[in-house]
Amino acid sequence: MSYFRSLIGSREMRILILGLDGAGKTTILYRLQVGEVVTTIPTIGFNVEQVTYKNLKFQVWDLGGQTSIRPYWRCYYSNTDAIIYVVDSADKDRIGISKDELLYMLREDELQNAILVVLANKQDMPGCLSVAEVHQALGLDALKNRTFQIFKTSAKRGEGLDQAMDWLSNALTAKK
Amino acid sequence: MYTLLSGFYRYLVQKDEYFIVILGLDNAGKTTYLEAAKTKFTKNYKGMNPSKITTTVGLNIGRIDTGGVRLNFWDLGGQEELQSLWDKYYAESHAVIYIVDSSDRDRIPVSKETFDKVISSEHLQGVPLLVLANKQDIPDCMGVRDVKPIFNQNAHLIGRRDCMVMPVSALTGEGVNEGINWLVDCIKRNNDIRPPRNQDNNGLS
Repeated sequence: MSYFRSLIGSREMRILILGLDGAGKTTILYRLQVGEVVTTIPTIGFNVEQVTYKNLKFQVWDLGGQTSIRPYWRCYYSNTDAIIYVVDSADKDRIGISKDELLYMLREDELQNAILVVLANKQDMPGCLSVAEVHQALGLDALKNRTFQIFKTSAKRGEGLDQAMDWLSNALTAKK
Repeated sequence: MYTLLSGFYRYLVQKDEYFIVILGLDNAGKTTYLEAAKTKFTKNYKGMNPSKITTTVGLNIGRIDTGGVRLNFWDLGGQEELQSLWDKYYAESHAVIYIVDSSDRDRIPVSKETFDKVISSEHLQGVPLLVLANKQDIPDCMGVRDVKPIFNQNAHLIGRRDCMVMPVSALTGEGVNEGINWLVDCIKRNNDIRPPRNQDNNGLS
């Protein structure tokens, strides 16, 4: 199978961008795709775009994060190679909810082999959580059977996304 | 009858599972070492290109089968602010691999201090320790003879557990096999203190 795949060129990697509403998922998606900050409105439903990063093709799904539509995330789980989980590092009140959603999601069978990237976003805001604080607040120490990585990002300023995508493409290439 | 047979089958094919945590300062070479170990012990596994390995902030896992057992590795980030997360893994670890950058003479004292903090934890009592003097491929690095006395200074902290200092180059892979083999022997011997986790009741979700 893998030989066959290498003949016809590698398949597009399927990536989901998830996280609470207002975390910055849509901004990140379009940062990755067009390299600019676009004005976004709360996503109801999803945005999907093809993103090319260093010769790797990704199909990136950005799903709406509002409470009422979070239950529909699971409809998109199958065949997912990686999850980009976006956290608003300045929203200390809701990080607990973010943690619950993350752990709930990672229990899904269909995501057992997906690589996890956590983006501690909005690092441009004063008084935001550090990487270690985000790690602790999300309870990531309980996650002992999955490779994951946290990156500090500011989608607004475009910081940290390159490192995250670099790591992700290497991890995905190594996994194949 | 089915239960009996399937139980017997599981007894035959089941491997004892152990967990090993890889620690050390940032840029010591922990992730490179894990990739080297995976490459050495896994058929057809081509490790990640070492030049592409970046600073770990999070967790890398690795799994190898050797000597009739299965080893699971936790490779954690080494930066100072991340060291506070290490102890979450201690209680479930069957061994510690502590990696030292032998070419970074300036930070050897810090590395030693950090090591002492690690082995002082009560959750690691009786757990075998493998200290690896890494980056032996760099010409001007400290040899294992220089590194060993430094890390063996606090004999009272090490206590009665197995502790070994070995030279290694994660980049070339030299010394990786020796270390893992030593560790497997120790872990098996240590079964009474830290019994293996079995595959069907390992509690991993």
